[in-house]
Amino acid sequence: MAGITIAALSTVYPNGVRAVDSLDLEVADGELFALLGPSGCGKTTLLRTIAGLEGASEGVVSIGSRDVTRLQPGERRVAMVFQDYALFPHMTVAENIAYPLRVRGVAKSVQQETAVRTAEGLSLGALLDRRPGQLSGGQQQRAALARAVAASAEVLLLDEPLSNLDARLRLEARTFLKKLQRELELTTVFVTHDQAEALALADRIAVMDAGRIRQLGTPREVFQRPADTFVANFIGSTPMNLVPRDDVVLGVRPEYLAPAAEGLFTGSVSIVENLGVTSLVTLDCGEDQIGYIVPEDSEPSIGAVVTVGAPAARVLRYDKETGLLVR
Amino acid sequence: MSPLWIVRRIGFYVLITVVLAFFAVPMLWLASAPFDTKPGLGLRWPDWTFANVSATFDHPFTLSSLVNSLILCAIATVVTTVLAALAAYALSRVRIPGRDLLLYLLLLLSSVVTGTAAMVPIFVMMLQLGLINSQFGTALVIAGGMLPAAIFILKDFVDAVPRSYEESACVFGASPRQVLSHVVLPVARPGVATIFVWAFVNAWGNFLLPFLLLRDVGQQPAAVLLRTLYDEGGSANLTVIPVFSLLYSIPVVVLYLFVSKRYGFRFHGGIKS
Repeated sequence: MAGITIAALSTVYPNGVRAVDSLDLEVADGELFALLGPSGCGKTTLLRTIAGLEGASEGVVSIGSRDVTRLQPGERRVAMVFQDYALFPHMTVAENIAYPLRVRGVAKSVQQETAVRTAEGLSLGALLDRRPGQLSGGQQQRAALARAVAASAEVLLLDEPLSNLDARLRLEARTFLKKLQRELELTTVFVTHDQAEALALADRIAVMDAGRIRQLGTPREVFQRPADTFVANFIGSTPMNLVPRDDVVLGVRPEYLAPAAEGLFTGSVSIVENLGVTSLVTLDCGEDQIGYIVPEDSEPSIGAVVTVGAPAARVLRYDKETGLLVR
Repeated sequence: MSPLWIVRRIGFYVLITVVLAFFAVPMLWLASAPFDTKPGLGLRWPDWTFANVSATFDHPFTLSSLVNSLILCAIATVVTTVLAALAAYALSRVRIPGRDLLLYLLLLLSSVVTGTAAMVPIFVMMLQLGLINSQFGTALVIAGGMLPAAIFILKDFVDAVPRSYEESACVFGASPRQVLSHVVLPVARPGVATIFVWAFVNAWGNFLLPFLLLRDVGQQPAAVLLRTLYDEGGSANLTVIPVFSLLYSIPVVVLYLFVSKRYGFRFHGGIKS
């Protein structure tokens, strides 16, 4: 068990792209950590640099107290689950799970025993003799996780662990993943472009853009107080209202807005979108479109003029020039 | 069921029968002529005998030529498969400028390298190297001719092996050699099996190179010996040729069946991703 320390890390591709740009990051021991960002933001490169699959151009990667920057992937004591799971198609599930031990030359009987024990723990016991091609998506994901667990590494790295599952299975797998991580107390870093996944799973989130970290914090911090307009835009299943006012940009989440006698915005209802237990109402306020969430059965009628407001603590101010949060 | 439909149907089956007969007749000759008292070039119900078989076995060079063929093909096939697998892996994974051009050039030149045009230089080179009448030397020349095409075909199979498989093995601590033997080759196995059989069949049927490079009749493989099976009058030795042809065709069929059963030309269906 060990944390990860990254100091002034840069990963530059041969074509000159700085995928990771002098980045500092500390992941605590036993933490479930999310690297979140749009595609091309460098999050996968950062994960692969931790794994050693990409070479660091500058800076240091440490696992626990060991400097692993110049070590081969196999010497870093990390385990990784790839986006496509990378299960070996010619091996059975048992052989796949036991593969990390086979590489180390562990005795066959121990390999078998570990495979069975790990598979039981991830409810794959009945599938040990199947080949990956005969498994469903969810089972493949668990088999890949089982193989990573069997490696008994200090750090678990997951590249888009849920993106290959259909929506319903994703929720199930998400809960499973969190439970497994809690049981193993294994330092885990996962990459995702899905903000809801990061918010639901992670202890802490690093929101990345252009090879740098825009904000680092707990899901609550990142959701409630986005550090800049980029993060504000990126986090939240309904986009944050960002409205220029005088010399600042006001940021209010639709969830925090409610009809009020004296409010921030007034406009006529133009669209009502049903989100299940709530609805997203869009107000037409001249130049700006303001969204706010109402509970079911209290949707206003189209064309009605509504004034909405939010508690003062929920209204954020961003600098117009830099986009940074004004404290 | 219009009359036209019936006529077309009949026409279709007649055509199929003719095509089928075209390919079946030589096979039937191969099955019947070796066991006929008076084997001819025509096809007829045989007058069963094993005299031709013992006559073939008594011939001084028939059996040894088959052994020569096996040795020659085994060396050429193993050299081709091993080197092609290593080269295909390297060329598939390492990005070097002009890689594709190199591959196409190799492929183009390979038909020249062991083609008829290059026979004189090859003969001179082998003579100076003292490799005339050497099974090993001849096998190397045959393998050299097959390698470019083998690399080209095998590279496609290796290209299809996802990088994440290798990276995954690598993260778990596999050495490059282990990555190749545990992951890449087994996943590319249908390709390796294809190249193995293709190389063997090619080497087995190769006439010109062994004919030129193996001057000693005791060293010659079956494909070359077949040409010398004439009687004193100069006409084809029909007691030996049918049996010899049958023996000559067996290894290729056996190899195909064995490889197909043991290693399989089957693919491990891709994993949905």
